[in-house]
Amino acid sequence: MKQKFVKYFKGDTAIWLIIFLLAIFSMLTVYSATGTLAYKKMGGNTSYFLFRHMAFLLFGIGITFIVHNISYKIYYSLSQLLLYISIPLLAWTLFKGVSLNEAARWITLPGTGLSFQTSDFAKFALIMYVARLLSSNQENIQDPKVAFKPILIWVLIVCGLILPANFSTAAMLFAICLVLMFIGRIRVLHLAGLVGVGVVAIAIFVAIAWNMPNQGRVATWKVRIENYLGDGSGDNYQTNQSKIAIVNGGLFGKGPGNSTQRNFLPHPYSDFIYSIIIEEYGLLGGLFVLLLYLFLMYRVGAIVRKSQRTFPAFLVIGLAFSLVFQALINMGVAVNVFPVTGQTLPFVSMGGTSIIFTSGALGIILSVSRTVQPKTESPDGEAIIDETEDQYADNINLDDDIEML
Amino acid sequence: MSENKTRTEIVAKLSIIYLAVVVFALVVVGKIVYIQVIEHDKWMDANTVSQKDIIIEPSRGDICATDGRILATSVPQYEIRMDLKSDAITDDVFNKHIDSLSYRLSKLFQDKTPQQYKRKLVSARYRGDRYHLIKRSVDYIQLKELKTFPIFRRGKYKGGLIINQENRRIQPFVNLASRTIGYLKDIGTDVGIEGAYDYDLSGEKGVRLVQKIAGNYWMPVNDGNEVEPRNGYDIITTLDINVQDVAHHALQTQLEKHQASHGTAVLMEVETGDVKAIVNLTRDSQGQYSEQYNYAIGERTEPGSTFKLPVLMVALEDGFIDLNDSIDTENGVVRYHDYEVKDSHKGGYGKITVQRIFEVSSNVGVSKIITQFYTKKEDRFIKGLYNMSLNKSLNVPIKGERKPYIKFPSDTLWSGISLPQIAYGYEVEQTPLQILTFYNAVANNGEMLQPRFVKAIVDHGQVVKRFSPKVINPTICSRATIDKAKKMLEGVVLNGTAQNLKNSNYQIAGKTGTAQIANQKYGYKYQSRTSYQATFVGYFPADNPKYSCIVVVNAPTSGVYYGNLVAGQVFKVIADKVYSTSLDLHTAPLVTYDAELKVPYSRNGHKNELEKVLDDLHIPFENLGINSDWVATEKRDSTIRFNNRYVNDKTIPSVKGMGAKDAIFLLENLGLHVVIKGRGSVGEQSLSPGTKYRHGDRIVLELRS
Repeated sequence: MKQKFVKYFKGDTAIWLIIFLLAIFSMLTVYSATGTLAYKKMGGNTSYFLFRHMAFLLFGIGITFIVHNISYKIYYSLSQLLLYISIPLLAWTLFKGVSLNEAARWITLPGTGLSFQTSDFAKFALIMYVARLLSSNQENIQDPKVAFKPILIWVLIVCGLILPANFSTAAMLFAICLVLMFIGRIRVLHLAGLVGVGVVAIAIFVAIAWNMPNQGRVATWKVRIENYLGDGSGDNYQTNQSKIAIVNGGLFGKGPGNSTQRNFLPHPYSDFIYSIIIEEYGLLGGLFVLLLYLFLMYRVGAIVRKSQRTFPAFLVIGLAFSLVFQALINMGVAVNVFPVTGQTLPFVSMGGTSIIFTSGALGIILSVSRTVQPKTESPDGEAIIDETEDQYADNINLDDDIEML
Repeated sequence: MSENKTRTEIVAKLSIIYLAVVVFALVVVGKIVYIQVIEHDKWMDANTVSQKDIIIEPSRGDICATDGRILATSVPQYEIRMDLKSDAITDDVFNKHIDSLSYRLSKLFQDKTPQQYKRKLVSARYRGDRYHLIKRSVDYIQLKELKTFPIFRRGKYKGGLIINQENRRIQPFVNLASRTIGYLKDIGTDVGIEGAYDYDLSGEKGVRLVQKIAGNYWMPVNDGNEVEPRNGYDIITTLDINVQDVAHHALQTQLEKHQASHGTAVLMEVETGDVKAIVNLTRDSQGQYSEQYNYAIGERTEPGSTFKLPVLMVALEDGFIDLNDSIDTENGVVRYHDYEVKDSHKGGYGKITVQRIFEVSSNVGVSKIITQFYTKKEDRFIKGLYNMSLNKSLNVPIKGERKPYIKFPSDTLWSGISLPQIAYGYEVEQTPLQILTFYNAVANNGEMLQPRFVKAIVDHGQVVKRFSPKVINPTICSRATIDKAKKMLEGVVLNGTAQNLKNSNYQIAGKTGTAQIANQKYGYKYQSRTSYQATFVGYFPADNPKYSCIVVVNAPTSGVYYGNLVAGQVFKVIADKVYSTSLDLHTAPLVTYDAELKVPYSRNGHKNELEKVLDDLHIPFENLGINSDWVATEKRDSTIRFNNRYVNDKTIPSVKGMGAKDAIFLLENLGLHVVIKGRGSVGEQSLSPGTKYRHGDRIVLELRS
């Protein structure tokens, strides 16, 4: 059984396990949480969202499966192309995109009627590209002109385009890139300077926003931040309902499908899904999901330790950290450690774009893990060579990428 | 730098990040524990806020006339407000549509100019008004149109449109019997039938438990309602709106003519006590008359001459007098102690019969009879009145009735002149309805019935409760006395004070009354002149009483104050209307028609139907050689002749001369769309007969009478 599994689901088995566990949690919770949505939009047809979400999850795992069979090496060159595509897409979204809650975040794919959030796409493109720039310039990484400056320019362009419509994603992406640069051995002094400039810039931005008329996104931000800073008694409806859900859950939860707060929480199937998880599965259930993400990060650490090259290392760190970081922010919002943002819980929240890009990222991580672990345990304990590794390894020119060993 | 060192550094830095992630995760877990443990009670308490019971108001029943026409009903009306701070109304949307929205609001309500609307909306938006009042009392038709307006058509959340529904009670016949139909008051006693039958009309409230879900929706917690509402029952009254209309306007005309302060008219069905019409009009400061107080039920005054009937009936019943006994009314003045009783006729009538005393309404005559036979036997006299239930309340369901006042000799207020005073209707007090009830009892051969306002309580046409006539006193006196009373009442109209009510078609019996009004505030003088109350009460037809009626006009300020002229006139108009429209009162044809007149004009129409109608009415007609379904009619000297009128489904038929019902039936069955103008029978049709038509074509018919 295990053998067969390993044969088809290559790479780190633990990560596959994490994916399946998250998918199961996702299905249970989304089904429970979409009750209200089904009541409002589908006339009470609750299974509509279940099947739609199940289809997305299967599709996502399918993507993971396909992507993990492709060598990560193509992303070395592909990252640049994807980034170049993402810039006009972001610009288009910003000015022509579908407005939801005053935020122009979505564009509709021509001909398909499907809409997707371009910032998700740009996020992964940028992470891959930063990983590439870091790895290709490892030798002169301390020289700000060689790596720091070009990376910073791209980061500022992408984050700048995301920022007006989606502050939290822009800030998160910026933080991920900072972390990536930190691990990628950019001088801490430069990064500290950048953070300093960033803090000042944000302060100026906030000051301007505060004095602008109450319109558009600015108004939404202001309300959210005011709610977060406030005493929490008045308008802070969402977080209050979330806290009620957490209290309802207790240690063991109310059991699957027994949430009541799903009826009161806005977006219980995405932004506040963690509250529903805690309500239905208790502190233990919440802790379990949290540990799944931490374990993912831990497994990525293991991959990095084994990795022979810097590009795959930076790639998996960036991708994994972006997932885990986003998960933590989502949880932080649910427990009111953070002000309310629209970040989803990767691979758990309902939402097509999020699941598809998350699946892609997990596929890449698995692809790397498959490549960097040439040895798998055979049933008789002997090390065997993974033959597929070599086939891909030679076909792709990685001369820019220096080897670590 | 060696590559090994590179890896070490990367792994070390990753560990730092990993540590940060773990710390962050611990913060999250810590916060969960904090919320669950420390803030447990706070959020548990907050949990219940999102559920509430909502009351489902039942719809209030209707109050209907005796024929089912609605006298009072509830219609929804709406208060329109706007959330101008709604997130969905962006500057773009607002600025783009504000002009057209203002224009259409102005056009719909016609109360403000588009500029005024715009100014108000713009400033309300500037203030961030989330509950801006657009308009109150909007009806459903207007609401439907309003929902199509720019911005509003985006809906409740996107368009900021807030609709508050409330039910308004309306009386479709506006002023007719409005005080008797009544209304509910927020404070104080509810009025009229609305108040009396409030319990039945209200129904029962329902309860539904709802919970708040995301996005401000309220969702029912359970399937269905916790308590199902029960709609109110309908009340079928005894009121006949046609008669009410006539009575209202007759009284109003008379009040206006005499500039009276107020008046009342009540029509009652003799056999059942059903109140067919009840009018109460009060003059307001502008000289307009409207229903403001139920005088018929609530105003108790000294009745004056109309009280002579029960007074003489007591003496007749006791056998002290008979109608032909002769009494000396002297020269129209008689003295009791230091009090003079006078007749209105100067010089008096000399020696006249009891019947005549009543006909001319001699105060002297009646007071002499009563003092002659009942001095020292005052108790017997008053008990005689009591035996006829004159001292009893009617206990009508409508609130506000005053108990009749007839004092007893043992009362401290009894004086030496009380007996002669009571004899002609003073020192006693009755309401108009109480007097009418007594006269109705006389008309009903002694059986006194409670005035009935409500026939039945129904629920969607199913009778829930039926009210049968209620007897107050099965026999107020002997049949002999009743017959004498009737004879006296007939004499009043035939030979007495109400000869102006005589007519050849049917006979009225009744009594006039012109009493000085003792007003608590003004005494017998009002505006330095004596105030009068003109009354006529009686029944008709005299030989077979069907209806009784009372008309009271208070404080006529112009010179004429005789009951027959002021009140009698209203009585006659009402009686004429009722008599002319009650087919059951006409036992035999009044006039035989000439043969010439026997053949009426007939509309064109369906052959079989016309044949049946003409057959039933015994009108001769010629239908020889008729083979079409539809016929045109032609009036001949002694018959109606039918002519063929062929209809086929390819060309337009001629519908000239047909009634609207037949014409519509015929044309719409051919697939035409008919538009009717005017009334009567078809004079012109917009598509000529014989022309071809297509399904759905429009044809305009002009009707002429």
